[in-house]
Amino acid sequence: MEKYNMLLCAIAAAALDICAFVLIMTAYAEKRTSRKNWAKMTGGMVLAVNETLYPLSCDEVIIGRHASADVRLPDPSVSRYHAILTFSGNAWTITDMDSKSGVYVNGMLVKHAVLRNGDVLSVGSSRLIFRRGEEHD
Amino acid sequence: MKSTKRSQHLISLTILAFIAGMAVLVVKLRNESPKYMMYAEEHSLGNVYDRNGDILFDGSGENAFPDGYLTDVGNLIGDDEGQMSNTLVAKNIDLLNNYSFNDGLVEKNGEAAIYTTLDHKANRTVYDIYGGHDGCAVAYNYKTGEILLCTSIPNLDVTKGYDDLASFPNGTLISKPMFRTVPGSTQKVSTLISALEIMGADKLFSKSFNCSGVYYNLSGKEIDCHNIYGHGTQNVQQALENSCNPWFAQLIEDSDMPLSKVKKEYTKLGYALNGADDTYIDIDGIECETASTTLNDPTEFATQWGCIGQGDTLVSPIQLMMWQSAIANGTGKMTMPHLISRVTSVKGKDSYTAETEFSDSLFSTDTAATMKQMLLTNGADHYNSILGYNVGIKSGTAQVDNGDKENSLLVGFVDDSSFPIAFCVVLEDRNSTPLTSEQIAKTLLDALKADN
Amino acid sequence: MTENPISYFFSCIFVTVAHLAMLANIWVNGKYDSPSDVLLLGGAVILLDFVWYIAMLFFKQKTFALSFLLILILNMSVIFQSCFGGVELDKKHYITCIAALIASRLGYHLCRDHKRLASHKLWIYAGIGVLTVAILTLTGSRSIWISLGPITIQPSEFIKPLFALACATTVGEQMKKHKLLMFNVVWDNLIVLGIFFAICFLQWWCRDLGSLPTFAGIYAAGFLLRICYPRAKFSKKTLIAAAAAVIAAAAVALKFAPAYVQDRLHSDIWSDVNGNGWQQSRALIGIAKGSWMGRGPGMGDLHSVFAHENDIVFATVSEEWGLLYALMMILVILIILAVPLINPPRSYFHATMVSCICAAITVQTALNIFGSCNLIPFTGVTIPFISTGGSSMMTSGFMVGMLMASQNPDLRPPKAERKRPVPIRSEMQ
Repeated sequence: MEKYNMLLCAIAAAALDICAFVLIMTAYAEKRTSRKNWAKMTGGMVLAVNETLYPLSCDEVIIGRHASADVRLPDPSVSRYHAILTFSGNAWTITDMDSKSGVYVNGMLVKHAVLRNGDVLSVGSSRLIFRRGEEHD
Repeated sequence: MKSTKRSQHLISLTILAFIAGMAVLVVKLRNESPKYMMYAEEHSLGNVYDRNGDILFDGSGENAFPDGYLTDVGNLIGDDEGQMSNTLVAKNIDLLNNYSFNDGLVEKNGEAAIYTTLDHKANRTVYDIYGGHDGCAVAYNYKTGEILLCTSIPNLDVTKGYDDLASFPNGTLISKPMFRTVPGSTQKVSTLISALEIMGADKLFSKSFNCSGVYYNLSGKEIDCHNIYGHGTQNVQQALENSCNPWFAQLIEDSDMPLSKVKKEYTKLGYALNGADDTYIDIDGIECETASTTLNDPTEFATQWGCIGQGDTLVSPIQLMMWQSAIANGTGKMTMPHLISRVTSVKGKDSYTAETEFSDSLFSTDTAATMKQMLLTNGADHYNSILGYNVGIKSGTAQVDNGDKENSLLVGFVDDSSFPIAFCVVLEDRNSTPLTSEQIAKTLLDALKADN
Repeated sequence: MTENPISYFFSCIFVTVAHLAMLANIWVNGKYDSPSDVLLLGGAVILLDFVWYIAMLFFKQKTFALSFLLILILNMSVIFQSCFGGVELDKKHYITCIAALIASRLGYHLCRDHKRLASHKLWIYAGIGVLTVAILTLTGSRSIWISLGPITIQPSEFIKPLFALACATTVGEQMKKHKLLMFNVVWDNLIVLGIFFAICFLQWWCRDLGSLPTFAGIYAAGFLLRICYPRAKFSKKTLIAAAAAVIAAAAVALKFAPAYVQDRLHSDIWSDVNGNGWQQSRALIGIAKGSWMGRGPGMGDLHSVFAHENDIVFATVSEEWGLLYALMMILVILIILAVPLINPPRSYFHATMVSCICAAITVQTALNIFGSCNLIPFTGVTIPFISTGGSSMMTSGFMVGMLMASQNPDLRPPKAERKRPVPIRSEMQ
């Protein structure tokens, strides 16, 4: 009896552990799915700054010089919080966050603009390309 | 992105803090569960043994003992009935519990036990020599701190229960060596240690005072000597051996002995001065009282009387014995006494093994050496032939009950590295019995020697 | 339909196996009058498992890990609750678990679209207001319960998810500063702070200060993320000042807390095992008796102690199933909270909401477990998912629904705008 007790307790605990592990694996598998889903929903866009790619994996992406900016441009001509990219109504939009030097889309100074694939953003002296990414996060 | 990352950091932090709390909880549960189990309806207790495997407390209640077999240790070892709270069993009952978190409750054949340092046979012999006369005796190995003997009269047989509690004589339920009593002239050891620390051996030995049987101190009060004809002019060694009160009263009044420094030395020795909070020595959980006295003005009767060992002065026998250890081992540090040598868990594994510990330094090694020599000389002059051992010793006679009764005390140590015993013997109301404290001390040493 | 059929398949199998292993343990070690009791319990649990697995196939969501975790922990709790003091299906708890599953769907659908939530924040405030008024007027003598015929509900539980939402809505409003006297303030921050104070008052009024730390946890999580929001422009000085204010407030609160709170803060349970320390000392003794592996389902003694099924449920589970299993039960709750770490939310609103929920569940679990085990004062709150209580179960289910929603955001524009073509450049400067 004593032996069975220990054994079955151990089995129940082990089964729960394995189950927890499997569910964590499921969560990891679904991470890919929801990433794909996000890409499908938002177009899977990236911001390319020189060689670096910044995937837009969140519906608000801040461009600026500050350490907490999502796309950080260490360039004195960029304001701390320079501009924000937001996704709503099926499209990405860029909005100037009262920056000093302004935001240019394809060479035009804008306060607020809907972006399309291949648009070139000028923020301070940096050039960012808004384009469709590959398989990415 | 960074903003969502921040929230993830916050979540991780919250979860980690929670996990840390759970870890603390699990450790606490694992360690404290034997204590919790003492409050459960069902539990099974192990035994307490003496150093030779003799049972001192029967947790299972299955063993039979001869009548009064455990009477000599009754109020020291105690039981789980809750009548006595300051006993070895009461303070360590969770160690005796046949339960551990890993093994659960073991109802039969659990091996939880406490092995004490006591020598039951010797303890019994000393208990018997008192013949029912009130008093107490305690002895320990001043090198290791093992309490070998600790008995107190009156005492009780815990296996008999507490039905006739009302008829128990006063003091039955307390182990007297743990409680303060009037030290009498054994207090002079503390005063001499202080004097040695303050003025050094050379100066102290150069002091000589006259005793004419009675001394009128600077405030005009009378300090009597037990020798009404007086001791004449004495140095410190003679005064110690004569236990001369007038000499010590004059020492306290001496300008080389400022009271502020005496107070400092007394405090170092562990006295609670002038109503300060009492301190306790922890002996495996058992609270043992230390010492207290009043020191106000060096010319005042009460202060002088306090330094001589009467008045407000109270010291526990164990404290007196521990000061002897600091002298005997020559370091000025007391060997801390312990009663538990090891504890076994429910599975029989050692869960605790005692280690020898020492106090902070109470006085210098020079003072220890001088004091040791003075006490040994006293022993050689008066006691070695009686006791049959090379002892350093100081006797004391304490007046209690407003002088109606006199207690006889003897504190000392054996100067023998193969038999390092320090002891304290108290014989209450010495005038009502032919027994002497020397006889008890001899019995004590012989009994320990026989088992050594 | 799921996009990860293999994961789905294995999750189904292993959740069922975990439940079956528990049932096998009951069958062999449990204390029951007749085997039919165990079969009924087993049947009910497995049936609910399968109904949920099938229902899941019709849910239009991309991630299911949380749904599996939810059914795992809920059925575990059904099994625990049915075993206390002898095996018999706890029908009431079974029904509340079904209610919790339904609440999770509600939470999921309501919280997917954060833009809509943010624009409907007045509804959230109104919800909290209605519940507050309900507590003040309908509970009778300053208690937390409203009796509705055969059932009693605890409205303050429902405030928890609403408050988490209210905290999350403030995040997006940090640009809208207004001048008030000499300060630049954001109205939403003040409103949420006001709501927090109102809740504090409410808890004091209905003598349920035990739930206060949960609300404080939600507010603290929301506050921290709000001030760390790039556009909030909070200085470190403000942060330190706020921390100091919180500590000072806690100290003052402790000093002037009502007598019954003070009692609980300073009591030594072991000196009063038959009085105020009864529940906690019994709980600790129960855990000690259970040791690592437990005494067997139904074999414990704690079922005779008041509130064994909610306030000290951790100890009751520990006694019967062993501390090891009880710790794993907690682990499952932690995994639920950790899923957003694996699969992150896609907006700051959802991220804040998720943190608030994580704080609420952790604080509440901690209060319950550490309180019943005498590490901190005993408050008598419930462990989410495990303790009985319909309001608490539904709230827990709703909160898991909110976690699911954060992984399946709905960013589609409102129906009216959907057909409108995307404008090409707008508002050129």
